[in-house]
Amino acid sequence: MSILLDFAQGVLALALAPGLVGLVRWFKARLQNRRGAAPWQPYFELIKLFGKDGVVSNNASWLFRAAPYVVFGSTLAVAFLIPTIFAPQALGGVGDLLAVVYLLLLGTFCLALAGLDPGTAFGGMGASREMTIAAIAEPTLALAIFGLALEAGSTNLGQIVAQTLGNPALAVTPGHLMAFAALFIVTLAETGRLPVDNPATHLELTMVHEAMILEYSGRYLALIEWAAGLKLLIFFALLSNLFVPWGLAVVLTPVSLLVGVAVFIVKLAFLAGVVALLETRVAKLRLFRVPELLSLSFVLALLSVISSFVLR
Amino acid sequence: MVDPLFAQLSTLAASLALLFGLLLLWRRNLGSYVDAFQSQSVVISLLFCVVGYFGEDPQLYGVALLFVALKVWLMPRYLRKMQQRFAVEREREPYLNVPSSLILAGVAVILAYALMRPVVALSNLPTRGGLPLALGLIFVGLLVILTRKKAFTQVIGFLILENGITVLALLGTYGIPLIVELGVFLDALMGFLVMQIFIYQLHGTFESIDVDQLNQLRH
Amino acid sequence: MSAVLFPLMLAGYAFGALAGLLGGRGSVGRWLVALGAGLGAGAGLGLGAGVIAGGGALVWSSPDLFGFAGGLQLRLDTLGAAFLVLIGVGAIPAAIYGAGYSEAYEDGRTALRRHPRQGAEASGFMLNLFLLSMSLVAMADNIFTFLFMWEAMSLSSYFLVITESSELGTLQAGQWYLGMAHLGFVCVAAGFMLFAGGDWAASFDSLRAGAAALPAALRSIIFLLALAGFGSKAGIVPLHLWLPMAHPVAPSHVSALMSGVLIKLGLYGLLRVSLDLLGGGPAWWGGLVLGLGAVSAVLGILYALMENDLKRLLAYSSVENMGIILMALGAGLIFHSYGLMALAGLSFVAGLYHTLNHAAFKGLLFLGAGAVLHATHTRNMELLGGLIKRMPWTAFFFLVGAAAISALPPLNGFVSEWLVFQALLGGFQIPSSEMALIMPLAVGMLALTSGLAAACFVKAFGITFLAIPRSVPAEQAHEATPAMRAGMGLLALLCLGLGVLPFAVVPLLGRVLAGIGGLPADPVVLTFNLSLQMPAGFGQMSPSLMAVGLVGLLALIPVVLRMLRVNRRLRLSDTWGCGRTGQTPRMEYTATAFAEPLRRVFTQLYRPTKELTIDFHPESKYFVQSIEYRSQITPWFEKVLYRPLLEGIRFAARMVRRLQSGSLHLYLLYISLTLVLLLIVARWL
Repeated sequence: MSILLDFAQGVLALALAPGLVGLVRWFKARLQNRRGAAPWQPYFELIKLFGKDGVVSNNASWLFRAAPYVVFGSTLAVAFLIPTIFAPQALGGVGDLLAVVYLLLLGTFCLALAGLDPGTAFGGMGASREMTIAAIAEPTLALAIFGLALEAGSTNLGQIVAQTLGNPALAVTPGHLMAFAALFIVTLAETGRLPVDNPATHLELTMVHEAMILEYSGRYLALIEWAAGLKLLIFFALLSNLFVPWGLAVVLTPVSLLVGVAVFIVKLAFLAGVVALLETRVAKLRLFRVPELLSLSFVLALLSVISSFVLR
Repeated sequence: MVDPLFAQLSTLAASLALLFGLLLLWRRNLGSYVDAFQSQSVVISLLFCVVGYFGEDPQLYGVALLFVALKVWLMPRYLRKMQQRFAVEREREPYLNVPSSLILAGVAVILAYALMRPVVALSNLPTRGGLPLALGLIFVGLLVILTRKKAFTQVIGFLILENGITVLALLGTYGIPLIVELGVFLDALMGFLVMQIFIYQLHGTFESIDVDQLNQLRH
Repeated sequence: MSAVLFPLMLAGYAFGALAGLLGGRGSVGRWLVALGAGLGAGAGLGLGAGVIAGGGALVWSSPDLFGFAGGLQLRLDTLGAAFLVLIGVGAIPAAIYGAGYSEAYEDGRTALRRHPRQGAEASGFMLNLFLLSMSLVAMADNIFTFLFMWEAMSLSSYFLVITESSELGTLQAGQWYLGMAHLGFVCVAAGFMLFAGGDWAASFDSLRAGAAALPAALRSIIFLLALAGFGSKAGIVPLHLWLPMAHPVAPSHVSALMSGVLIKLGLYGLLRVSLDLLGGGPAWWGGLVLGLGAVSAVLGILYALMENDLKRLLAYSSVENMGIILMALGAGLIFHSYGLMALAGLSFVAGLYHTLNHAAFKGLLFLGAGAVLHATHTRNMELLGGLIKRMPWTAFFFLVGAAAISALPPLNGFVSEWLVFQALLGGFQIPSSEMALIMPLAVGMLALTSGLAAACFVKAFGITFLAIPRSVPAEQAHEATPAMRAGMGLLALLCLGLGVLPFAVVPLLGRVLAGIGGLPADPVVLTFNLSLQMPAGFGQMSPSLMAVGLVGLLALIPVVLRMLRVNRRLRLSDTWGCGRTGQTPRMEYTATAFAEPLRRVFTQLYRPTKELTIDFHPESKYFVQSIEYRSQITPWFEKVLYRPLLEGIRFAARMVRRLQSGSLHLYLLYISLTLVLLLIVARWL
């Protein structure tokens, strides 16, 4: 029974993902004094893409055709493992926070290879930049996990959530706040948001994620876009539920589940608003300035670990 | 009951002060340095009030007011005026690049924690958790002075260093006597004015505030 | 059982060696060599597995052989057995692969030294000797046996490295390798001498018994000598210089064996001396190993990223992985010194697991690189590309290896990195704050190497196999022979198995260090059914269930899409060209370009030299005839450490050269003087 609920919450996350992307775009449009498309526009885009023919390059190999499925599959697998409405019960033992990070790395790896496959310079450039950013973001992720795991005594997501629920005072310690800031910066880097990467650009000077998926079309592109939206949702879910877990259903009654869904949507909307505000406010960083931003997040994570290390 | 709140607030303020100090290693824009310094001084004056409240020492409210007057109002005013004269200057190529200096700052904070361990163990004040952070801030100020080329940045680095010493004294002993505090303020003000004159002269001679240019005075 | 397996192992290797010498040319000879090696390795594997499962130690000795030095004493305990298993795991696929690969040496394409006819045969002989000496190193029980077998191992591997001696740079690489191997040997021998107090014939038992009585300073010196000697074999920075020189020039199955097995014997030596014989030591030993491991890991992968030679990239990546293993070992030594035995056991299990995994995936990667080399005759990635369509099996196996080394679930690299992370996470239990504070830095560096490794192998696989061929040899590449494919396939299967079934492997690894050096006699308890769970519940995950889930999702998604009547039509067309017509290989991304952002980010570490030469038209400076840009990265320890050292050695050699005057009378005078001096000393002193 609980395993069905675990799967259900993952599918719910999958269903909400395009809406989240649409919401961020809608907020940005309103902030920029435009009307903007409705927040459910990405759903229509996905339906359209699934209906289109696909065009595949002559130079591409089987890897190009398999990669979208691997990316989508690994991201969906992560969605099953993280707490969105409640901490996964049956599936909680399958993967902990480190497993989540490496499953997401699997998706990035495949996408980078798929970018190199057609043999264009765009794809190579996108792959190269994406792997650089991913590599430099890894230490911050690991240290943030380390900090959270130290307090909770485990890298298991359920246990981290339970620890914070049990000691509310823990949520406002400087260590926690700095870890949140560090993880927020990494979210921007990993999901390709300003100031690291512009999700709405098609100039090769500024593309990272877009450059890797330039050759994709039809149902492949739909899968990849959906996976990107799901990745954004996953990071938002981690940010909100690991640091502010109130609202998560602790006992699995219908009422608490409904409350959980509502609170989750509110949290997502809030984070979407923050990201939209940030994207409107800052300009994209030059690629070689991104390591500076990421090393700042690394130092924040380091400080958070030290403070929880020493003040235990 | 009151103690944990005191400890948390003081640690939070010390962390914020350190983070504003780190901003000097991250940003390149001179204006943002002044903003960072100003925000840091605001946080420290609030810290003075907090320690004065929980430590029951009304003198510290006075010191906080002096702090606000000097470091939140007066110095940033002059610094902004100076910065507007050199608006084109940015910290383009420091001696140690940004990621390396940030990581070095992180290692310095670890060192500060290791160095402060016996002191923290011996002290029984609720504010002892923030002591390593204050020492870390001192190291960061030192790092700024050592690795940045523009004289303006070095001035602000010196001011940050001074702030760090203030925080250390505040958290370690609930502040120093008023008369000593006044003396320190006067010293800082004099040093600041001397540096202002120095920077204007530097700019007048070399048309830039790059301290490297002083090498040309050799022969 | 073991009574049969040990002689079988010896017989297998002997047979393979003889087949190498006498078997003649042709596929029969090659297969007999492979059979002998495989048989010997398989027997060793069985022997080792039996000892680990059974738990006891097996002893053979022959005191009459070399009796003046204490005789040949062999003892197989669980630690040595683990490395026997490693040798077996690495050697069987390599032997099968080698049978197919050595065909290239027969038609004289790579002529050996002066006797082309003895080419492949000598390498077959040396291969078996190499494997035999490695097995006996793991079983040695006294100083003499250990040093003798160590030297045999170094020499046989030297001959294997210079198999292709007509290629440029091979002999020089071999010289470097021999020199550094002997430098290591001197350090190890010195360490053992100090330990045994000058007694050549001491056995390990007597060393173990006498260790506690030694003064702490002496123990530390022994440890440092062992670290230097075994570390240079293992490839720790800064003693790693021979690795990126020797691995690329050796035949590919030999490279696989060297990377997968030989350098691990350095670890074996270190573990044996520091943990078993010395019984552990102060925390700074572990801290030093941890620090060196972290530095090796980061520097290794950084230099790997900048390489365009496929095998040199893999060699530097071996340096990185040895760094990771050393980090685990260092953490284990630190925990051991503080008495946190459960965590120490966990760290050692993590290190040993990564050792096994590295043998599997690095072996696979080297075999794949060998197949590429065999097909295209070049190791330069800038000339490759498009091989996925011409060598599909090789490409698939290489992809498995690349994914495994990047620690992607559900393959084996992920499991061992997870274990190493969990071991380092346990560092907060260390009582001393200063030591505990280096753990976050270690975690950060481990994560950085993990990310960089993923980037490096995207480059290695992507540039070599994907897109369009960049040169004619790459266009004309052919698939590897069935023997080579079989070898690679075995290792790929092993990577998958070790990743999906860790619960079968970890209990065995837990037994390896039980009872050694003060670790508890009952093995590290890691409970599982399908999951991997730590003591005190610190972390839990199930790679097997994850694999099942991933495969299930991958299968399910296309089915669901089909049910939803999604448009499945595909058109093949030219790559989108932004308006240009035609696509040439020159428009692709190059290997150098791929690594360029990381080169810029880490420029203060790399310190690349740049040279820009612009030729102007003689008439005017505004017309440029040619622009030449040259950039080079020389590892700075070469500049700082090795060049001065080499200069010093050359200087000393020049001084000594004066003795060689070429005059016969002078030499006779030297001999007579020595004789007279000896007589005087014997008579009056």
